[in-house]
Amino acid sequence: MSSIDSRRTGRRQLLKGAGALATAGIIGTPAIVKGQSGAIKIGVPTILSGRVAVLGQTSVGGLKVVFDKVNEAGGINGRKIELVVRDSKGAPQEAAKVTRDLINNDGCQIIIDAEASSGAFAVQEVIREIGVLCIHSNSETSSLTADPKLHVPTAFRTARQGIHDAIGGGDYAAKVAKAKGLKKWATCSPDYAYGRSNTAEFMEYAKHFDGNIQVVEESWPKLFQPDYTEVVTKVLNAKADAMYSALWGGDLVAFIDQANLYGLFDKQASFMVNLGDYGVVDQVKQFPQGVYSGGRYNRTVPPTKENEEWYQNYVKTQKHKPTNWSWENDVAAQMVVEALKKTNGDTNGKKLAEVIKGMTIKTQFGVGGSVTMRAEDNTLVNYIIGYGLSLSKEPFIADFQTSPWEPIYELEKQWKKKQGYA
Amino acid sequence: MTGRWRDLAWAGAGLLVLLLVPLFGAPPAIRDFIMFGMAYGLLAMSLNLLIGYSGLVSFGHAMFFASGAYAFGLAMQSGKFSIPAAFALAIVFTAVLALIVGAICVRLNEIYFAFLTLAFQMLFYNVILGWVSFTGGDQGLMGGIPRPKFLGIDLADRTQLYIFCSVAFIVCIAILRQLVTSPFGYTLRLIRDNQERAAFLGVNVPLVKLTCFVISACVAAVGGILLTLFVSGAYPNFGFWTTSGEAIFMILLGGSNVFLGPLVGTVILRLLNDITVTYTSHTELVLGIVILILVLGLRKGPLDLIAERLENRRQAAAQAVRDAADAGANGTGKGGS
Repeated sequence: MSSIDSRRTGRRQLLKGAGALATAGIIGTPAIVKGQSGAIKIGVPTILSGRVAVLGQTSVGGLKVVFDKVNEAGGINGRKIELVVRDSKGAPQEAAKVTRDLINNDGCQIIIDAEASSGAFAVQEVIREIGVLCIHSNSETSSLTADPKLHVPTAFRTARQGIHDAIGGGDYAAKVAKAKGLKKWATCSPDYAYGRSNTAEFMEYAKHFDGNIQVVEESWPKLFQPDYTEVVTKVLNAKADAMYSALWGGDLVAFIDQANLYGLFDKQASFMVNLGDYGVVDQVKQFPQGVYSGGRYNRTVPPTKENEEWYQNYVKTQKHKPTNWSWENDVAAQMVVEALKKTNGDTNGKKLAEVIKGMTIKTQFGVGGSVTMRAEDNTLVNYIIGYGLSLSKEPFIADFQTSPWEPIYELEKQWKKKQGYA
Repeated sequence: MTGRWRDLAWAGAGLLVLLLVPLFGAPPAIRDFIMFGMAYGLLAMSLNLLIGYSGLVSFGHAMFFASGAYAFGLAMQSGKFSIPAAFALAIVFTAVLALIVGAICVRLNEIYFAFLTLAFQMLFYNVILGWVSFTGGDQGLMGGIPRPKFLGIDLADRTQLYIFCSVAFIVCIAILRQLVTSPFGYTLRLIRDNQERAAFLGVNVPLVKLTCFVISACVAAVGGILLTLFVSGAYPNFGFWTTSGEAIFMILLGGSNVFLGPLVGTVILRLLNDITVTYTSHTELVLGIVILILVLGLRKGPLDLIAERLENRRQAAAQAVRDAADAGANGTGKGGS
C-alpha cells in the first residue's frame, strides 16, 4: 500500500528540525532535507478541510488506486511509491509554502498538484523555480497551460480544460436548441473568474453553433452563498427557454434544493456542466430529472467493463464514491508511473518531462480508450467530454453523447489566437 | 547605553542571528519558515501598534497587507520599475490608501472603528475580485513576479532573497520600536488609556491616531511585499477578513502588552499550523483549542504573562529591600533608643 502522510517520518523530522534549530539558535519549523531513500516520494498539495474537502479526498483516492496497485506489484524497479499529502486549506500562499515544504522538507521528488485553480497558479511558480516534475490534476482554468507566458517546462495538466468543455458543451447545447427551439437563454453561475469565464465561453460557442441563441438574463450568485431564492426568482422571471449554470459543489447542491421548491427545472430546459458528479448526486435531496448534465465522472460513462470495474474497486478501497477529480488524478498517477518506468525510476524533472511530453496512455477515461499529453502545451487531450440527460435514480445520467475532438481542436486554435496565446 | 542605542544594538544582534541561519547551512525549509514568519510577523506587529498601543481595534488591517502585495506585484509585472522603486511605490500607495481610510475611521471609537475598517477591507477585497483584467480576480497575479537584479542583488537567488527579507524585516521592527519608545508612542498610550485627558492636554487626538494608522499600514504593506516575493504572486485572500483575523490571533497568542509579543504569536501560530498540517487536516480545530486554553487558562499571551511575572518578582524584590531597610532602620532606632 502506498503510505500517506507518514507519522513516523514527521516525528523524526521534528527531532531533526529541533536539532537544526538549536544550531541556528532560533525557532523554526520542524524541517530537514531527507536524504534519498528507497521510496519515490510524491508530494500532493491539496484541500482537505473546509467546504471543498471532497476535492482533496477524492483526488487522493484517485492517486491511491493507481499507486497501491503499482506498489503491490513491486513498485518501480523495486522502489515503492510513497504519497505525502498536505492540506493547503485552499489558500494559494499556503499551497506555495506547502509545495516548497514537500520538496525541501519531506524530500518529495515529484509533485501532483491537486489544488483548485488559484492554488495551482501558486504551485506553478514554485515549480518554475525548483524544476521538479509537476502534474496539475484539478485546475481547469485554460490559461494555466494555454498561456505561453505561464509555461513551465516541467509542469503538465491532466485535469480537463475549461475551453474544451465550453466548445464540446456549446456544440451539444446548440444541437438541442435547434431541435427544441431554445432561443432565449438565462445564465446562473458563481461570481468569480471560473464561473464568469466558463459561462462566457459556453455561451460564446453555443451562439457559434446556433446563431439564434441570445442571453436574456445573467445571474451571478456569490461563491458559497447560502440562499438562492433571489437568483431562482430572477431566472424564473426572465421566462427564458433555457438556462446554463456553472455552479458546482455545495453551491450547486444548495441551488438545486431551493430551485426544486419553485419547480425551476420543469419550466425550462437546464444545462449544468457540473451536475452529474457523485459529489453532487449524493448530496442533493431530490436529484432533478431531465436536466442536461455535463460529463464529470459516472460509472456508465463510458459504459465499459473497465469503467465499472474501476468504479467498484475505487468504492471498495476508498470507501467513498469517485468524482471527476478522481479520474483526473488517476490519469496523473498513471502518467507518472509510465514516465518513471521509462526513466528507470530516475526522478529528475527534466528527464520525466521529456518522456511525459506527447505521452499517450491507455485508459477508459479517453475517447477510444486513450488520452494524450499534448506536447504543444503540456495539457491532456482526447478525454471524454459530453452531455447527457439526468435521471433521478441510478445511473443518474442517460443518453450521454460524447463530443468529437476534431471541432474542439479546430476551435481551440482559433480561441488561442484570439487570446493572443498562439 | 541609552535606550535607543540599546534597541539598535538588539536590532543588529537580531539581524546577525537571522543572517547566520544560511551560514549554518540551515535547510531551505527553515529559511522558508522564517521568511513566511517575517511577512506575517510584520502584519501582526503593525496591527499591534493600533490594538496594543493605541486602543484602535482594526478588523481590516489585511487590506494594507494586500495593497502592498498587489501594488508591488503589479508594478513589477509592468516591467517599468526596479525592485526598490516598486517597493517604495507600494508603500506610498498604501500610505495614501491608509490616509483616506484612516481619515474617515479614526474619529470613530471601538466597535464603530472596528466595523468600518472591516467594511473598507471588504470593499478593497471585492475590488480585487471584481477587477479581473487588472488584478487577475480570484486567480490572483499569475505568471510570477519578475525579480530583476538591482545594485548587484539578485532576489531570484533564495539566499539573497532571505537576506533582503531579513534586512527589511529588522528595519521595520526597529522603526516600530523607536516609535513606541518615543514621545509619540507614549502619546498613543495616553490616547488609549484616556482619550479625553489627552485632548485636554492639547494632543490633537485624530491627527495622532491617523499618523499611527498610516505608519502601521505602511509596515503591513512591507509584510505583504515580502510575502509576494516569497510566493511570487499576490492573491485576494491576502486582503480577506480571515487574514486580519489571523493577525489578531497572533497578537492574542503572543501578547499585546510586550513589544515582541505579536512576533512570538506569529511563530507559535505558524509552528502550530506547520506541525498540525503534517498530522491532520483539522488544523483549525487544534488552533481553536490552543487559543481557548490561552484565553481561558492564561487569560493573556505568554509574553504578557512572563513580563507580568518578572515585574511582580522585581516589585517583590524591591519591596523586600525596602522592608529590610525599614527593619534595619527600626532596628537601629530601637538599638539607639
